Amino acid sequence: MKYAYYPGCVAKSSAPELYDSTAQLAQKLGIEFVELTAASCCGAGVVSEGDEFLNVVLNARTFAMAEKMGLDILTICSTCQGVMRQVRWQLDNDSSLVVKTNEALSKINMRYEGKMKIKHLLWVLVEDYGLSKLEQQVVKPLKGLKVAPFYGCYLLRPAEALQFESREKPTSLEQLITVLGADPIRYEGETKCCGFPILFVQRGTALEMAATYLNNAQKEGADFMVTPCPLCHISLDTYQKKASKQIKVNINLPVMHLSQMVGLALGVERKKLGFSRHMVSTATVLRGL
Amino acid sequence: MKTQETVFRILRFNPEKDEKPHYKTFDVKIDNRMTVLDALENIKHEQDGSLTFRRSCRSGICGSCAMKINRLAKLACKTRAKEEADMHGEVLVEPMENMPLIRDLVTDMAEFWREINRGTPWLVWDETVASSSNENLLTSEQQQVSGKLADCIMCGACFSDCVSRVFDKNFTGPASLAKIHRFAVDPRDKVGVKRVSRLVEMGLWSCTHCYFCWSQCPRDVRPVAAISELRVLSFKAGDKSQGARHVNAFTDSVSGTGMLNEATLYLKTMRWNVFRDFNLILRMTTKRKAPSPFARPIPKIDEVRTIFQVAQGRKKR
Repeated sequence: MKYAYYPGCVAKSSAPELYDSTAQLAQKLGIEFVELTAASCCGAGVVSEGDEFLNVVLNARTFAMAEKMGLDILTICSTCQGVMRQVRWQLDNDSSLVVKTNEALSKINMRYEGKMKIKHLLWVLVEDYGLSKLEQQVVKPLKGLKVAPFYGCYLLRPAEALQFESREKPTSLEQLITVLGADPIRYEGETKCCGFPILFVQRGTALEMAATYLNNAQKEGADFMVTPCPLCHISLDTYQKKASKQIKVNINLPVMHLSQMVGLALGVERKKLGFSRHMVSTATVLRGL
Repeated sequence: MKTQETVFRILRFNPEKDEKPHYKTFDVKIDNRMTVLDALENIKHEQDGSLTFRRSCRSGICGSCAMKINRLAKLACKTRAKEEADMHGEVLVEPMENMPLIRDLVTDMAEFWREINRGTPWLVWDETVASSSNENLLTSEQQQVSGKLADCIMCGACFSDCVSRVFDKNFTGPASLAKIHRFAVDPRDKVGVKRVSRLVEMGLWSCTHCYFCWSQCPRDVRPVAAISELRVLSFKAGDKSQGARHVNAFTDSVSGTGMLNEATLYLKTMRWNVFRDFNLILRMTTKRKAPSPFARPIPKIDEVRTIFQVAQGRKKR
């Protein structure tokens, strides 16, 4: 298995533990990454609010790079995944946009053909690698742990562009958690928004969103929360203390990246998974294993 | 036709009798074709005449029967009961959110209408573009821009499931903004794009892009896409709010290095407010996860800059 690896900006900036733990996981599973080091930011749904066409061409350039390598793109950020799938979907449904995009790309001698696929690590684990094969690799099952899956928005909506699983009742994270030996819990908010997109603009609203869903998961007895998105991780982990203050409720819920949770169960050395970088300590979870 | 016994768990509330809402379950025989509205009517006629809900056209046109079905706002007349039962094991029916409950599945939609009205949801006739004929039709190209938005049936589903509205009552909501966009891009409207000048105070930048409004709209109006386009228009019109600064700082960062620089994005958007986060930044630094404001450009940054030039040239045209 080989992918054109698109880690995104945050995994290389404020969430380096995601970048490192994904590399460890890939090595453990024998998945080969060819990192798209010259790819630009996906725009995160923000660049498009200044200039929609610019956003399309920037992403089409990344697509063209992967196509040249003959590989599908693998992302580890739901926001990158969502934005890229939306651009791909726009291009798939608007031939005149493809012409205009390729006209722009021709200035840098590139061309978008629409041949590659864009997959999040979660989808690769569930579909390409396969959960039964993954189950066989589990050496340290996460027995007795209650895990709150946090899907967030961009792996589910808009469903027309994402086309992976039911946006109304997603199961991929629950399936993955079960395969790793832990128990997924249900709580109000697993498919809601973490608030990150407005964290710098409407701070109070954003924090209240994160706090509400963290609190719901905590009330249902979660030992930790898991997220496939580093931006959700910023809201849920980095800003957890502030979120907790915002709704005046004591919240103390560790939040793991997807790659860390899988890495743990697969026996990757804990030190290499980067838990020391979390703002909310994961010690209670790790001690119990 | 094959039928199956299905549990309908319905939120009940009678303000004259009940202190708070409660759930009551009903068993209903459903077949493949029955909608949730059919099932509710069946319950009302055969099991409990007091069950209260709004309905009218039964065809997905009037927007009366919007309610939460298995936790998402939908039109009961457009939702197949069997599909819900198969996916969730039961059909949970609740009133819409973000509006006060009156009785059972009926909500007070006054707040929704108030928000719609905040946006002057009608065409302000511009006599200067009026043609000599009585009708002043849009061309098909013009209609493509606002056509989808005109399909809104004001059912309130997007307002109900809007995450931002739950926490920010100043956010006018997806339907209101979609309606504003519909007239802002209509060439016959006298106010036109000037409509965006009031949007910051109505919460234009409070939308998180969670896409619930896109997903739950029974008419595929896609309000979140309209909100994005309104932000583009607001940006072009010289919006200097924190939201616009965020877009500016983000785009500057990508044009400079090809990547998002989280540190400069944060500094340029938050300005002096960063001092509120002194402790947080300190802790991030000790955890070795504070982003650096100094970043090197990605390889082949010239390609990214060329794309920026091409896009900017196109914008000017």
